[in-house]
Amino acid sequence: MFESSLCQILFCVLAALAMLCAIGVVAFRNPVNSAMCMAVCFAMVAAIFFGMGAQFLGIVQLIVYAGAILVLFLFVVMMLDIHDENHSSKTGWHAVVGVLVAGCTAGLILKAAISLPGATDTPCPVKTLCTSAGELLIGDARQAAPQPVEAAQYGGALPELSAAAAARMENPSISAEDAAKATSISDVKLIGKCLYTHYNIPFVILGFALLSGTVGAVALARKIRKD
Amino acid sequence: MNMIHNLPWLFLLLPLVVAAIDWVCLNKHPRLAATLSLLSAAATLGLCIAYLTGLQTGTPGVYTWMPCSLEQLCLHLGLVMDPLAMRMMLVVTGIGLLVHFFSIGYMKGDSSNLSRYYAGLSIFMFSMSTIVLADNLAMTFIGWEMVGFSSYLLIGHWFNKASAADAAKKAFITNRVGDFGFLLGILLTLGFFGTMNFADMAGKAAGIAPAVLTVTIVCLFCGAVGKSAQFPLHVWLPDAMEGPTPVSALIHAATMVAAGVYMLVRLQVSMGVEAFTDTACNIIAWTGAITAVIAAIMAVQQDDIKRILAYSTLSQLGYMVMAVGLLAGEAAMFHLYTHAWFKALLFLGAGAIIICCHHEQDIWKMGGLSKRMPLTVLCFMMGTCALIAIPGFSGFFSKEAILDAALAKNPVFFWIGAGVAALTTFYMLRLCIVAFMGPARDHGAEHAKEAGFTMALPLLILAVMAVISGYGFIANDLVPFNGFHAHGFALGLPFYVSMGSLALGILLALAIYGLGSRTKDPLAGNCISKALRNRLYIDALYDKVIIGGLQQGFAHLMEFLDMFLIRGIICQLLVWISVRIGYLCSWLQCGSLRAYSLVSAIGLVILLLLLANQF
Amino acid sequence: MIPLAHYLILSGILFTIGLAGVLVRKNIIVVFMCLEMMLCASSVALVAFSRAQGTAGVPVYDAQVLSLFITGIAAAEVAIGLALIVAMFRARRTVESTALNSLKD
Repeated sequence: MFESSLCQILFCVLAALAMLCAIGVVAFRNPVNSAMCMAVCFAMVAAIFFGMGAQFLGIVQLIVYAGAILVLFLFVVMMLDIHDENHSSKTGWHAVVGVLVAGCTAGLILKAAISLPGATDTPCPVKTLCTSAGELLIGDARQAAPQPVEAAQYGGALPELSAAAAARMENPSISAEDAAKATSISDVKLIGKCLYTHYNIPFVILGFALLSGTVGAVALARKIRKD
Repeated sequence: MNMIHNLPWLFLLLPLVVAAIDWVCLNKHPRLAATLSLLSAAATLGLCIAYLTGLQTGTPGVYTWMPCSLEQLCLHLGLVMDPLAMRMMLVVTGIGLLVHFFSIGYMKGDSSNLSRYYAGLSIFMFSMSTIVLADNLAMTFIGWEMVGFSSYLLIGHWFNKASAADAAKKAFITNRVGDFGFLLGILLTLGFFGTMNFADMAGKAAGIAPAVLTVTIVCLFCGAVGKSAQFPLHVWLPDAMEGPTPVSALIHAATMVAAGVYMLVRLQVSMGVEAFTDTACNIIAWTGAITAVIAAIMAVQQDDIKRILAYSTLSQLGYMVMAVGLLAGEAAMFHLYTHAWFKALLFLGAGAIIICCHHEQDIWKMGGLSKRMPLTVLCFMMGTCALIAIPGFSGFFSKEAILDAALAKNPVFFWIGAGVAALTTFYMLRLCIVAFMGPARDHGAEHAKEAGFTMALPLLILAVMAVISGYGFIANDLVPFNGFHAHGFALGLPFYVSMGSLALGILLALAIYGLGSRTKDPLAGNCISKALRNRLYIDALYDKVIIGGLQQGFAHLMEFLDMFLIRGIICQLLVWISVRIGYLCSWLQCGSLRAYSLVSAIGLVILLLLLANQF
Repeated sequence: MIPLAHYLILSGILFTIGLAGVLVRKNIIVVFMCLEMMLCASSVALVAFSRAQGTAGVPVYDAQVLSLFITGIAAAEVAIGLALIVAMFRARRTVESTALNSLKD
């Protein structure tokens, strides 16, 4: 019980920090400050990932977002030597409308999140979301949408992870006793297994996308010779 | 076998094919084109003679051009081969051949496209043959329009000359007015007679109300008014003299302008005389009489040799139409036939004189031509004698026939005819005295030489025809009328009156113009002469009222509609609407990144709102 | 344990803050950072769902793989986007998004 409430407190602190930093990204005039805030925000998100038991993703988050991407941003900001944004009254209404629109979005998303079914028997909001979106787009999504599965669970607390089940999944040949002995989940192995079996081809395509992105970036950022 | 019956179709096909070849293939070879056209004219003449002499007989097959479920609405193409048609064909092809031949000499050295000229002549031969041989009114109408077209082409042959182009337009448009009435008449005929075929019309007039018959005949007569240049629509014929002179001889003197008379006689023959009600006859006869009188009066004060002849043609056509109106179709066709020969002669003679005087057309700049080109002048005098109806010449017989008919029917027309005869004598002698006698008044006339062989030969042949064609032994076989019989003339009132008017005309001409010593017209200078030279202001009136008033008014109205309705309302409104829509859309396409992102975010909100109903 | 809703709320708020930044800020580099934050927020939601959807104590790893892909694509996007910004800065000597208005000309 204590552990659980500790977890909750930790989550709340991390989430509050992440949101604060996010606001900082938007609010700071100086892009360098914004970039720093973004790094902290990403780090907080990575910590939340750890809390959810997605250690691999948390590490990737740290390395890629808080590491590589941030460095790129800082590098560009420094290289271009950008000064503070100068406010012009002309575009004030723009900011107001932007905030208003964002507020609306936030309200709608929060409403959707809060009205998750919890203990009730209503189907998963995500599924409903998908279904209704499908309805909007194709007109008849009920046929395409799968039937609701175990709807009651989604709104409530996240289910506990089971190291034994993970071990069984990792290696189906081991016995139940051996699996029960497992204490932690090596989710790198499980993600890797998923990635290299089911998502092998998309993964390769992603690699090509990164490669072409790199080449494109070089081509774009290169100084165009005048001749 | 069967094909031989269809030989008469060559009358139409030969000139048509030749015209097409001349026009399309022989643009660079005028000599070849001339030869081909000449050969086709000769071939049709030969064919015509073969049929007339009975060497070749048989009726050609009827070809259904546009089939229709209703039999009477079908358009058939068929040929009539009765004497009326075949003898008319002799006139057409005979004069046609001579004119082709004359053209070779006349058009020598002309820099215009001669292939086009000969193609035009061949098209004319085709269309005129269509009118003459047509066995129904629809086909007549096709030929009718086609002669109008070829006349347009040939009047406007020297289209670089503005006056020629204008004259061609004037002729075409004036004819259009008459053709409208003609088309109405054809439709009325189809409606009330139930057929357009000449052969089927006989006897049907009895069952039709006189008023309807009158309207039908008058509408059909409108066509003749246009084509034969009768009074209200006569204005185009004098202007048509802008065309080459052989064309004037063939189209505007001998054949095409007579087509109206031919058509009326054809109707009289096929519908029966009873179809021509008294009212219709009066309208026709008075139109003819008025035309004859005013044309003769106007001819008195013309200086252009071709215009004098043109007005004389108008006047003679008036005679013929008058004869038709007096139900004397026989006399009308007799006069048409003699007039064709001697008027072609006069025109070709005038053409030869014009060429020899270096394109001089003003008779006051000629003079003394009888010494320099005696043969041509002799031929011309033959034609003049025929025209003024000196006894023994062809014109005398036919004019006598018309005067006889007029006296028998209505003496008013007789006296009109006699008066016109006196005027005719006067103006023709004026022309001859001024142009042929006395001293030469200009360089052109001084250096005139006798016309060449190609021009002289047609003149001689026509001169012979002008003299002899009226005698019974020839006329009985050649006058285009079924069962024509020339009745010998008797010493009666008509003879004495016409002799009197002849003598009056000769005396007046000699008294006023002497023997050619005058250098300018003693009658000129006063207001009557001015009015006559200005064609009694009829053309000016048309210019003012119809072209200046009606046409311009209509044009203004149309312009207003065009500007206000089409441009103003429809176009501008459409433009305005699309411009507004464009502005609206261009406001969306502001090009600002921030605005775009804002719009897409608003879209996201709307999407979420739509989805929010689910929760 | 923390309910799914909390994660979703966190993700939604991060997303909206990012959206607000995209709409409000004029500095295109900051706009870009906010875009990255929006992607990150969607990652959070995905991982939370992977836990929520998991049966018998094992998360749905497909969702985590998807989130991994998002990260990879974000990296590529940043590379290209920053190169574009650099090119834009060279051309216009500014990184204000208001300067990007020549599209309508």
